[in-house]
Amino acid sequence: MKNRVVWRSLVVVGACLPLVGAQHAAPPQSAMPGAALTPQDSALHALNRLAYGPRPGDVPRVAAEGVMRWIDRQLSPDGIDDDRLAERERRFDILRYDRGDLAAMYTAAQRERRERKLAAGQTADGSDSAGAQHAAPLPKQADPMIPKSNRLANEFADLAVVRAALSERQLYEVMVDFWTNHFNVYFAKGADRFLTPDYIEHTIRPRAMGKFQDLLIATARSPAMLFYLDNWESVAPGTSPPFPLSARRRGGQGVRPVPKGINENYARELLELHTLGVDGGYTQQDVIDVARIFTGWSIERPQQGGDFEFHDWAHDRGEKLVLGVRFEGGHDMDEGIRLLKLLANHPATMHHVSRKLCQRFVNDDPPDGCVDDAVAAWKHSSGDMGEVLRAIFHGPDFWAAANVRAKVKTPLEFVVSAARAVAAEPDTSPRLAQVVARLGEPLYLHVAPDGYPEREAAWVNSGALLDRMNAAVALASGKLPGVTVVLDSIVSAGDPDQLIGAVNEKILSGTMSENTKQVLRRELAGIGDPAQARALAVGLAIGGPEFQRQ
Amino acid sequence: MSISRRVFVKSGGLALVSFGLDPLFVARAAFSSYEPLPPHAACCRPVLVCLFQRGAVDGLNMIVPHGDPIYYQERPRIAVPEKDVLDLDGYFGLHPGLAALKPLWEAKTLAAIHAIGSPDATRSHFDAQDYMESGTPGMKATPDGWLNRYCQHDREHQDTPFRAVAFGPQLPRILAGTAPSLAIDDLQAFGLRAPQPAARDRLTRAFEELYAGSATGLLSTSSREAFDAVQMLKRLDPGQYRPANGADYPRGRLGKALLEIAQLIKADIGLQVAFADVTGWDTHVNQGATEGQLAGRLSELGEALAAFTRDVGERMRDVVVLTMSEFGRTVRENGSSGTDHGHATAMLVLGGPVNGGRVLGKWPGLDPAQRFEGRDVAVTTDFRDLFAELLARHLGARDLSAIFPGFVADSERFPGAIRG
Repeated sequence: MKNRVVWRSLVVVGACLPLVGAQHAAPPQSAMPGAALTPQDSALHALNRLAYGPRPGDVPRVAAEGVMRWIDRQLSPDGIDDDRLAERERRFDILRYDRGDLAAMYTAAQRERRERKLAAGQTADGSDSAGAQHAAPLPKQADPMIPKSNRLANEFADLAVVRAALSERQLYEVMVDFWTNHFNVYFAKGADRFLTPDYIEHTIRPRAMGKFQDLLIATARSPAMLFYLDNWESVAPGTSPPFPLSARRRGGQGVRPVPKGINENYARELLELHTLGVDGGYTQQDVIDVARIFTGWSIERPQQGGDFEFHDWAHDRGEKLVLGVRFEGGHDMDEGIRLLKLLANHPATMHHVSRKLCQRFVNDDPPDGCVDDAVAAWKHSSGDMGEVLRAIFHGPDFWAAANVRAKVKTPLEFVVSAARAVAAEPDTSPRLAQVVARLGEPLYLHVAPDGYPEREAAWVNSGALLDRMNAAVALASGKLPGVTVVLDSIVSAGDPDQLIGAVNEKILSGTMSENTKQVLRRELAGIGDPAQARALAVGLAIGGPEFQRQ
Repeated sequence: MSISRRVFVKSGGLALVSFGLDPLFVARAAFSSYEPLPPHAACCRPVLVCLFQRGAVDGLNMIVPHGDPIYYQERPRIAVPEKDVLDLDGYFGLHPGLAALKPLWEAKTLAAIHAIGSPDATRSHFDAQDYMESGTPGMKATPDGWLNRYCQHDREHQDTPFRAVAFGPQLPRILAGTAPSLAIDDLQAFGLRAPQPAARDRLTRAFEELYAGSATGLLSTSSREAFDAVQMLKRLDPGQYRPANGADYPRGRLGKALLEIAQLIKADIGLQVAFADVTGWDTHVNQGATEGQLAGRLSELGEALAAFTRDVGERMRDVVVLTMSEFGRTVRENGSSGTDHGHATAMLVLGGPVNGGRVLGKWPGLDPAQRFEGRDVAVTTDFRDLFAELLARHLGARDLSAIFPGFVADSERFPGAIRG
């Protein structure tokens, strides 16, 4: 056993050496699946990285089509028919509401909440609510909006899982997840309860495979981001809203005071996280001037729909200097647009975002060659994400043996790939999204602006691993309500060796280790009921170590 | 079987290290050399229990400066009336919701630190929580939390899977990092789930062997930690636990978390650092005075801590409990009979080693001229001074500079929470 580990690591090291050399010798466009990978291996690798893992039959299908041709099709998602998903999406109520509807629900709930709280305060002492809190198994949520908003939030999280599982445009869904995480907002922060669905549907999704600059500008003016990072209340010092608005605010009960100055939150995260990166060479003075440029980028009141609104009264009319570039005052919103274009095409941004893409698609420790290829494509294409991705997938690092199965699936990747492996049919109930949450990365609920990390240490830990095993066993035995699994069409029940062979081929795409085969053989030996044996074999395979890697 | 498995994984880990692969795995592998503890070897090790009051607790209504007329002037509707305050030292007093803690104060095992907080001025919950957990105020990029860094740098401690445990569904920022730590949402449900114990054992063994045989890298070390923990818990049989000395924990997440922490402490399975969240402190509207929202939260906290102390009993001589919160709240009440985000707050430390019966820290006063930005209690104790003191004087940490990078820990500035 000990010897085998040593031997394996030797093979890994040995195998990657020639390729590391080749990386510098071969121009990226000539790189194709490495000689070391069979067509099946290449298809599996591509399906693990550009997609949420293979469904039964996907590996031979992609291998037969030719993996590079399949990748090219994934890079042009509009050309891929996705009717089955479209049909499924129609079952989701959340997609029937626009931002205005959700805003109206939100303000109604807020009003109700305020009235209830005031009533509680006036009657006695609110001790009954405190008492309830005391007795309840969970901290009591005072917000009466919670049931409805929670239902919608859960449904919306489930929609992400269903899309990832069922869409034929797999790479597109992976990129939606990537950008949702890169431009993170927090669903549970106040108005983001109603702004987040609109943000995902109309800001992120239409631009996930387009130009970075367009996506950056769209996020900058999205109400969800303006609220999340407080820019909506950032105003030039000494300014105040014109009479009717300020009067209304002063008269309102429990309404926030009128903001008094700039808020740097968005400015800082724009530079540190969205564009240049923490070592991107900007200063605190740059942050301040960026914040000044974005003064006045705000939001309508929820009663009016909560759309983007530029408040010229709040805008700082002075001159600003960012990264040595002068922004003459008095150009209102144009200053921000000009700045976003500058940032979107800044070399530090290209490097920072390319590096994250290489982390996502190639290795947690992204190879320099991958980043260089991506940056070069970014320059040629003015930040066209399709071209940047094409360069990554055509580069030698993507196919290097050292990077194959080198990543551990994230919670979302694990849950969706498990559902796909058994061709599960999820309905609109949030069970799969709840499993994702239990494994440590609840959708739309990462509180800090950095999004979930792209490194395995963030999600591999003992408790979460046990939960993966439990989820696998539950899924395989059909015990996740809301998720229909019919194993008959995938693995026919047979004697243990046939069963193990079928599970290896269909669920693990041939990656099952000798050890796993031995353990399965022994565990299956005592089980008379074929359906039970099959559920156990599938559960152990999905919860086991091979399936955690991609 | 389990010994040979450990040896196997350990040597496998070393083999990989020597090839320079996977730096994260290398970091974890450094912790993989522990052996199961002999019975009671872990007894009497110091334990630190951290409770995070998420949402920013109003320090002024928790530890009330009832001797200052400004407190009453600024809070006409929400000040705790003089007659209701449980006086501590003639100037400060406990909120009546914390009455269950008064005996601990009398026994000098409870202290409060007032006007403590972050050197960073942010009033954003998520930034301030992030800084308090990373231990690096103002620096967003810090990858790990300070409790995890303590575990990374103090390797004298014999590791067990239960050395650092967070009670909740997810591992919090404060425990994130390369040293192994567990997130346990429910001690009884930790491990594989199956209808009968026999099926559960069988499933556990099958997965254990799958991972022992073919897992690599971090999957290997994490799965080993997981199965070691499952084995230890099985012996512990948490379903059968009954609190000692008639301790009666309040229902709810906090009571449950503290009960499970008490259980692990008494089981002597190597718990050194425990962490749990307590939510519900963001009292912008109708926070109440003697009774009300905040009073309800405080009485749950007080009763839970009192039950914990009673349950842990004798072993409290090795235990320190710390409460922390990201910032305090405005001195003046707002238009909705609540308080808005402020700056300094108060923290509690309790336990046998605590230098109790006193309010520690330099009190800046409530005079507007002394306030931070004219509105909030000023910070006179950097939270790292208190955290560093607990790590150094209670847990015996030696290298504080590695745990709080960019911060020069100086025992002269320690607030004096631990008896010398």
